[in-house]
Amino acid sequence: MPVFESSEKFNEVLGGFFRLLANTPVIADKLLESKLIIRFNYTDPDLVLVIDCSGEKIDVRSGDMDTKVIVDMKMNADIAHKFWFGKVNLTMALTRRQMIAKGPVPKILKLLPAIKPSYAMYPQYLMENGYGEYNIH
Amino acid sequence: MGKKQMGGYAGTILYVDLTTRNILKKPLDPDFARENIGGLGFGTRIFLDLIYGKPDFDALSPDNPFVLMTGPLTGMMMNGVARWTVCAKSPYTGFWGDANVGGYFGAGLKFAGYDGIVITGASEKPVYLFIKDDVVELRDAGQYWGKDVYAVTDSMKADLKDESSKKGQVLAIGPAGENLVRFASLVHDKGHVAGRTGMGTVWGSKKLKAIYVTGSGKVTPAYPDRLKELRDELKEVYEGSIFISAMQSSGTPSHMDVGILSGDIPIKNWQMTEWDEIDELGPAVIEQKISAGSRTCFGCGVACKKEAEVKEGPFKMKKGPSPEYETVATFGTMCLNSSIESVAKANEICNKFGMDTISCGSTIAFAIECFEKGLITTKDTDGLDLTWGNSEAIVKMTEKIGKKEGLGAILCQGSRKAADHIGKNSHDFLTTVKGLESPMHDPRSAHGFGLAYGVSPRGACHEASLTFEVEGGAIFIPEIPELSSELPLGSEGRAEMNVAAQDYGMFFSNCAVFCNLGAGPLTATPAVDMVNHVTGFDYTLEDVLNAGRRVWYLKRGLTNLFGARAKDDRLPKRLMTPMETGPSEGSVPDMDLMLKEFYKLRGLDKEGIPKKDVLMDLGLSKLAELLYP
Repeated sequence: MPVFESSEKFNEVLGGFFRLLANTPVIADKLLESKLIIRFNYTDPDLVLVIDCSGEKIDVRSGDMDTKVIVDMKMNADIAHKFWFGKVNLTMALTRRQMIAKGPVPKILKLLPAIKPSYAMYPQYLMENGYGEYNIH
Repeated sequence: MGKKQMGGYAGTILYVDLTTRNILKKPLDPDFARENIGGLGFGTRIFLDLIYGKPDFDALSPDNPFVLMTGPLTGMMMNGVARWTVCAKSPYTGFWGDANVGGYFGAGLKFAGYDGIVITGASEKPVYLFIKDDVVELRDAGQYWGKDVYAVTDSMKADLKDESSKKGQVLAIGPAGENLVRFASLVHDKGHVAGRTGMGTVWGSKKLKAIYVTGSGKVTPAYPDRLKELRDELKEVYEGSIFISAMQSSGTPSHMDVGILSGDIPIKNWQMTEWDEIDELGPAVIEQKISAGSRTCFGCGVACKKEAEVKEGPFKMKKGPSPEYETVATFGTMCLNSSIESVAKANEICNKFGMDTISCGSTIAFAIECFEKGLITTKDTDGLDLTWGNSEAIVKMTEKIGKKEGLGAILCQGSRKAADHIGKNSHDFLTTVKGLESPMHDPRSAHGFGLAYGVSPRGACHEASLTFEVEGGAIFIPEIPELSSELPLGSEGRAEMNVAAQDYGMFFSNCAVFCNLGAGPLTATPAVDMVNHVTGFDYTLEDVLNAGRRVWYLKRGLTNLFGARAKDDRLPKRLMTPMETGPSEGSVPDMDLMLKEFYKLRGLDKEGIPKKDVLMDLGLSKLAELLYP
């Protein structure tokens, strides 16, 4: 049974979280430095999110299949949800193909320290925005 | 199968007695090869045979045999198979010692016609071993004794280049090995290092400065077409592996970005797992400040080895081997030292003197904590302000250790013996198991590592089995349930995982001598197929697991023979202290549970010694006789 019941709900929750990160300077500044455009292809439920760091502000777009991206990530929605709690062994997920990443590896790795503060933000974001039912305890 | 069909092997083992200067060439017995595969499969058996008549000896005495062995794949033009192994009784821990190293030396040795070298006795004067195909000679090393590893490597290559049209390979010790620094290493080509457990110290005690090898032959697989087909199939696997991409782009320091997320990286002598300055030691800063290109091992397209150069400042160094992850952590995070240039310099000093960076850096972190807490002062350090993050003091102390100068003469014996000397509560700062400093992966973030460090025959080690790779996630072996199941957080199931990771790991990286990095994408099926296509043998997965299991019991039994008992399987207090914050907050391995389960699975008695019937069932009667006289 997937954590999120529909693509719409997953988009609302995760898209909202990405928009929060985009407006959090300590994280956004480093993401913008990378100039990356990343497409997340989620399954079960299906969702496509593009995080565009190529401009002056981070743009989060749902359903964008047209933009030519630099990094392409594929993963199950449940894995993505667990990831933002800091509860996914990233190396293992990549080795076991639970996450598939295509693109320039050094630039992808460089993002990891940048997004580390977001792990503490995700459960708080869920609680503050009425998504407490999705919190992992 | 007949002898003519055996592929991969060179077919001869060299026996060199440094006392008598007698040199023997013995043909490799195909039945012996089939049973033990190669690497430490050969090394443990030969070592046991040699000490069988006199098992009680000092590691620095001529009675300590040193065995260097390649694997059947070493010398093949393939990813992740250039490695080879060394073993002896460790002068650092007093227990079993071994190390595993890559580069070009193993291939060179096989091209000269030898699968390995067994060195016994000790020379009265410094010597080096010269090998050029059939010509094998002990030569005077007077002109090389006292030189650092970089100097002796360059000098020897220049001096001997006219004796062969083929390029020579050098394996050498530096001043640290000569002066019996207890964690001295063997260094090949300046940056391929057999680092752990003091194998360079063994050479120093034998007055063996170097081995120079050049060969004009080649090794051929039994089934080249099958091997080519398999390699073609694996191209796609390698191309899709982000782990390999990370190794290619940043080498092992790529772990700095990943390990910090899970609390894997020890900081401030294992007292922290988070640090604001961590990025100063990460791949991006390495690329920006010290990176100077890549290099590789024989035949390997992964090229995870990196070069570094510091163009100016107090840590100026010429282009040379760049620090690996373990070194970045020991001299960097462990010492709260955010100067990557100083880490590169400390790495260069260790390579030149021939010292293990894990033991050296960890011992300095230990000394810094002693200094902070007033157990040693500037009177002990010759005025050095040995404080956290003082990069100049850290580099100077590294050199003092290599020279056995001042406090360096104490620290060169390692942190455990230094704690005995310093006294008071300094033992509380130790990170050692069986006297060997823990590597830079925190068992509080992955409990299986704790059991792996505890029961490792050579002391705390992340490569004594494949537990680190499996629980850490870099290797996935779907053919073996214990190495592919999704375990819950905590200590549950870790004993079963460790047993399987030891059995398979002894086959994979000890006997076949696959590289845990360059061959990381291989699951068991292609790994076993590759060995079969090269050797012409017909191993099943069960066969290689049995071979691996025997090697684990041999190493374990030998370390027991040298005195290790159940108390030596425990983690130090420092690693069992829970973190108050960070990713591994409040978590410590349940060693009681894991050891109890592990002892039962392995058939160890309450002292941690393999039971006699277990050894007899494995065909290890000689070991059983020594442990149960």
